[in-house]
Amino acid sequence: MKLKPEDLDKIRERMKSTARLREAEGKAKINVHLGTCGIASGAREVLHAFLKLVDETGGEDVIVTTSGCAGLCKREPMATVEIAGEAPVKYVDLDPDKAKKIFEEHIKGGNIVKEYALAVGSERLG
Amino acid sequence: MAKITIDGKELEFDEGLTILEAAKKLQIKIPTLCYNEHLSPYGGCRICLVEAATRAAPERSRLVPACTAPAEDGMIVVTDSDHVLDSRRFIIELLLSRCPESEQIREMAAEMGVGPDSSNLDVVGHYLLHRAPKRESTNCILCSLCVRVCQQIPQRFALSLKERGIGRKVTPPFERVAESCIGCGSCAYVCPTKTITIEEAS
Amino acid sequence: MGNFRFNLLVCAGTGCVSNNSFKVKAALEREIEKHKLQEEIQVVTTGCNGFCANGPIVVVKPDDIFYQLLTEEQIPHLVEEHFLKGRPVEKLMYTPSKGGAPIPKMSDIPFFGKQQLIALANRGLIDPENIDEYIALGGYQALSKALTEMTPEQVIEEIKASGLRGRGGAGFPTGKKWEFCRDASSAKAGSARDGGAGTSPSAQERTSGLALKYIICNADEGDPGAFMDRSIVESDPHALLEGMLIGAYAIGAGQGIIYIRGEYPLALERLNQALEQARDYGLLGEEILGSDFNFDISVSKGAGAFVCGEETSLIGSLEGKLPEPRVRPPYPAQSGYMGKPTNINNVETWANVPHIIKRGADWYSSIGTETSKGTKVFSLVGKVNNTGLVEVPMGITMREIVFDIGGGIPDGKKFKAVQTGGPSGGCIPESLLDTPVDYESLTQAGSIMGSGGMIVMDENNCMVEVARYFVSFTQEESCGKCSPCREGTWHMMNILDNITQGKGQEGDIELLEKIGKHIKETALCGLGNTAPNPVLTTIRYFRDEYEAHIRDKRCPAGVCKALITYSIDPQNCTGCTACAKNCPVECISGERKQTHVIDQQKCIKCGMCDSVCNFDAVRIE
Repeated sequence: MKLKPEDLDKIRERMKSTARLREAEGKAKINVHLGTCGIASGAREVLHAFLKLVDETGGEDVIVTTSGCAGLCKREPMATVEIAGEAPVKYVDLDPDKAKKIFEEHIKGGNIVKEYALAVGSERLG
Repeated sequence: MAKITIDGKELEFDEGLTILEAAKKLQIKIPTLCYNEHLSPYGGCRICLVEAATRAAPERSRLVPACTAPAEDGMIVVTDSDHVLDSRRFIIELLLSRCPESEQIREMAAEMGVGPDSSNLDVVGHYLLHRAPKRESTNCILCSLCVRVCQQIPQRFALSLKERGIGRKVTPPFERVAESCIGCGSCAYVCPTKTITIEEAS
Repeated sequence: MGNFRFNLLVCAGTGCVSNNSFKVKAALEREIEKHKLQEEIQVVTTGCNGFCANGPIVVVKPDDIFYQLLTEEQIPHLVEEHFLKGRPVEKLMYTPSKGGAPIPKMSDIPFFGKQQLIALANRGLIDPENIDEYIALGGYQALSKALTEMTPEQVIEEIKASGLRGRGGAGFPTGKKWEFCRDASSAKAGSARDGGAGTSPSAQERTSGLALKYIICNADEGDPGAFMDRSIVESDPHALLEGMLIGAYAIGAGQGIIYIRGEYPLALERLNQALEQARDYGLLGEEILGSDFNFDISVSKGAGAFVCGEETSLIGSLEGKLPEPRVRPPYPAQSGYMGKPTNINNVETWANVPHIIKRGADWYSSIGTETSKGTKVFSLVGKVNNTGLVEVPMGITMREIVFDIGGGIPDGKKFKAVQTGGPSGGCIPESLLDTPVDYESLTQAGSIMGSGGMIVMDENNCMVEVARYFVSFTQEESCGKCSPCREGTWHMMNILDNITQGKGQEGDIELLEKIGKHIKETALCGLGNTAPNPVLTTIRYFRDEYEAHIRDKRCPAGVCKALITYSIDPQNCTGCTACAKNCPVECISGERKQTHVIDQQKCIKCGMCDSVCNFDAVRIE
C-alpha cells in the first residue's frame, strides 16, 4: 500500500501506545503497587481498570506501570499518581470504581481526589 | 588563456593540460615510468611527483603527480626543490630495492646519484639497498603500462593485475596464455624495464 | 491496539545474539504465557543497545529498568519477581565495577546517561524488522517534510548550515559535497535525456539502465574491530534509508547503492527486509509519498578488501573492476559510478540527515564544537570496563569517554593510551587525555577521528607491537597500485617485525620516522597516506619503548614473545602442579609441593601457566 504523507500520521496514531511505552515520556504516570499484599487485596483489578480507562479515552500522555510493595500493606491496593512537574500522590484502599474517579478528576481534571489520598509527596523523615 | 609557472618559467596554455604536458611545452624534463602519452594516465609509480602551489596560497605547496594533476591558472610548480628530489630518490630507492637487476631502473637511479655503492645514501637508502630482505628476482615495477595498452590499443584485455599489495603481479587470465592475445607486441613495446618479451610460439 | 503494561526490549544485536539472546527471549515468552501475562506484556527484539560486553540485555519499558548478562535459567525467577510480584530483581541489574549499589534505571547508568543519541536514537527501542515501529517514533517524517515543504536546494542549505561533516573519517562538509554533485552536469554519454542538475529522473530514464546521478552508502566499515555502521544497520536500517532518500531528493539522484561488507550477514538481512518493507509502503520506487520523486536502492556486498572503503576503489568494485583508487580529478561528484555524478557518504553520515531535517540545522549546530558539529559514534573497546558503542557530542574529552562512560581500566591497571582512527590513526597518551574529541584537535595530537574506533590500552599493551599490528594490517590490505604504499609499508613491517623479535638495530627509529614521512607524502590514497600514522605517533609518545626493544632487547609491557621470559617465582610457588599439567609443550617440571621450573629452551611463551596459576607465581619479564 503506497503511503501518502497523511498515512504516516495515521500509522503514528495507531502505534501511539507503543511509542508511549518505549519513549516513556508521559504527562502522567500511574504506578499501581503490586506487592503480594496488593495482589491479594485486588490490585490487579485496579490495574486493569486503569489500563482500560487509558485505552478507552485514548490518554496518549498517560503511562500505567507497576512496581512492588509501597510499604503500607494495610492500605492496599495502592497507586501513586505522578503528574509531570507535580509531587506524586499516593492513593490508598482502592478499587476499580475509585480508580475511575481518580482517572477522571485527577489525571484528566488536574484535581487531587483528597478523600482517597494518603499523602502528597514522598516520605518525609521525622 | 591560463598561466602556469614551472621552475620560474611561465607558460600560457588552454585548460585541459596536465602539469607534465605543460612542462613538456617548456622543455622541462620530469622523470616518468608509468606514463605513456597515448594511454590514460595512471599515477601509480609516483616518480613524477612535483611541488605545486596555488596563487591563493603560495606557501602551501603539496606534492602532486605531474602526469595526472591538471595544470591550473596561477599555479606555481617546482620540479627540482630539495623536497621533490628527496621524494624522487625515495621512490627510485624503493624500486631499486624491488628490482636490483633491472638495467633501466639502475640507470635512472644513477642519474639521480643513487646506487648500492653510492656514498651519499641516507639511512633510508642504506636500509633499502643493503639491509632490506631479499626477494624473488623480478624486473616488473607494476607500472601497468602493459595492462593499459592491451586494454586501450588492440583492446584485447589479455593482461590484468592479480593479487593486491606486495604480491601483486601482471598476468594473463588464470596465468595461462590468453586466448585473446593477438601477439601484437604492444605490451613488450611499452614496458619500461623490458620485462615482457615476445617469443616465437612453437 | 491492546494496551500493554510493559514492553520487554530484548537486544538482538550481533553481540547479544551470539550470546543466546534469542534463547532468553524464548524463555521470557514461555514464562509470560505460563503466568498468563501475554495481554499485559509485549516482548520485542530490538537492535544493538551498545553495551555489548554486558549482553544479553533486556530493558523494561516504560520504567527503563536495565537487566544484563542474562541467561535462560534466570528468566523464570525474573518474570515471577518483577512482572508478577512487581519486585525488580537487583542481582540481574548493572553494578558499577568499583562496587556499590546496583543501578536499576538505564538512564542512570553512566555508560548510557552521558551519551547523546542522534544517529543511534532508535537503538534498543524499536524492532528493526518492523517499519511501523520506526514510523511510530517519528520515522519518515523528515522525508515527508523535505518532499512536501522544501526544495532540493533548501535541503542542501539546511545540511550545510548544520555543519554536518562526513563521518567516515575524512570529515568533509557534507552539504558542500552534496552541492558539488547536484551542480554536476550528467548530460554526458549514456543518458537518453539531457537531465542537468536537479531534474527528477523519470521511469523512462531508469529503463535506459542508467540513472542521471547516483548516491552511494559506504557501509564497508573496514577498520578492524569497528562496528558503528554495523550497529546502525542492524538496529535502525530505516534511519539509513530515510537519510539516503532525503539526500537523493536534494542531489537529484535516481538510484542509490548500499555497498556493505560481506562479513555482516545480520545487517544485510535486516537491510534487505527494511528495503522490502519500504517498497511495500511506496517509500521507495515511483512517486514517493505522492510527489514526483522516484528513487530506489540496491545492495552490493563487498568481498573483503579494506581498500574498498576508499570511495573510488569502492566504485571500481561496484563496476566489476579492480578495486584501486582512481586518478582524481575527475572526482566522483563529477564522474563516479558508470561515469555519472555520484555522491558517496558513510552510514553514520546518512543516519544523521533525517534528524537535521526534522529538528533543524540550528538545533544540530548547537551541539558540538565550533568546527565539529553534532555527535559521533565511537566503538569503545579494549582495556576498559564498559565496552560497547557510544554516541557523544563532539567536544567531550577523551578522559570523560574512557573514565566516566567507559568506567575506567579494569583490574586496577594503569591507563596508557587510546588508539583512535583504526589503522589510519594514532595513540593519545595520558598527558593528552583532556583533548576534546573533534576533528581538528585529534589531528593536532597526531591522530585522526577516523570512523570512530577507540581502543583503550593499559600498561600491558606494547606500543611497538601495536604499531606492528596496524602496519601488518595496512600492508596486507594495500591495493598495490603505488610504489610507496606497496613497497614502503612492506619495509616498515619488516623493520617492526625485527624490532619486536629483538633484531632491531640502532638507527631503526630514525629509519621508521623517515620512511613513514616519505610514504605519507608520496602515497596515492588515504590508505597509504595514513598507514605510517600508528608508527609515527607511537614513536612520538612512547619512544622509550622502542629504545628498550632495540637497545636492551627488552619488552617493558611484557608482550613481545621473543623478548620476554616466563619464570616461576620460588617465593610464591606452592607446587600445586597446575602449570605443569596445563603447559601445552610440557616444559614445566617439578614435584608436588616443590617449586616448579620452566625449561626456557622449550617454552613457547603462550602464557598458559600464568593464566592457571592461582598464586601469582609466574613472572614475565
